[in-house]
Amino acid sequence: MVDKGPVISLCRSLLRAGHQYPDYNIREYAKRRTLEGFRMNKNLTDHSKVEEAYAEGKKQLEVVERVVKVYLAYPPRTKNIMELKLQ
Amino acid sequence: MASLSATSLSFKAPSIQSTRISQSISFGRFQSSKSLRLQISCAAKPETVQKVSDIVKEQLALSADTALTAESKFSALGADSLDTVEIVMALEEKFNISVEEADAQNITTIQEAADLIEDLVQKKPAA
Repeated sequence: MVDKGPVISLCRSLLRAGHQYPDYNIREYAKRRTLEGFRMNKNLTDHSKVEEAYAEGKKQLEVVERVVKVYLAYPPRTKNIMELKLQ
Repeated sequence: MASLSATSLSFKAPSIQSTRISQSISFGRFQSSKSLRLQISCAAKPETVQKVSDIVKEQLALSADTALTAESKFSALGADSLDTVEIVMALEEKFNISVEEADAQNITTIQEAADLIEDLVQKKPAA
């Protein structure tokens, strides 16, 4: 049975990892998707489902970390317009 | 009792955004208007608390006139643990700091968050 602590840890790790993307689009997506995913499963009570969700989260964390490396190899040359401050 | 110091408080805060325009009224505290890097203050500056409050309001989608004191607890404002994680991430981003796991677990009020931020910003060698 997974407790709240590790779950929150996992959430934080995913958010941190997603924050490293140089590309605006996937960065925002990672943030949005992790929060959505965790919120969706917030009220699960069934132990096996909780385990399942936690395992999936860990898998995604690996994916994110791997893909971040790829993205960092080819950083975008210009800033996305969404990132520019309003003049 | 707000007193405007004679020297204009040019706000080159130890953190970042130099394009930020923030208006701060010094509440009678002595703040050196030069580079605020080695700020020795016991509690968090009101400006920091204000910034933290703004971020919290935004994240929790509170109305603009909700009274937020420094002692407001996140849970009292309707934030669950996920919201707290989100708030801490937003603060990390805003102030360009990195909060440890253990520290993050202990943040429950706005004042605590502001104190921690000040602490981290001071420790971090301002680039």
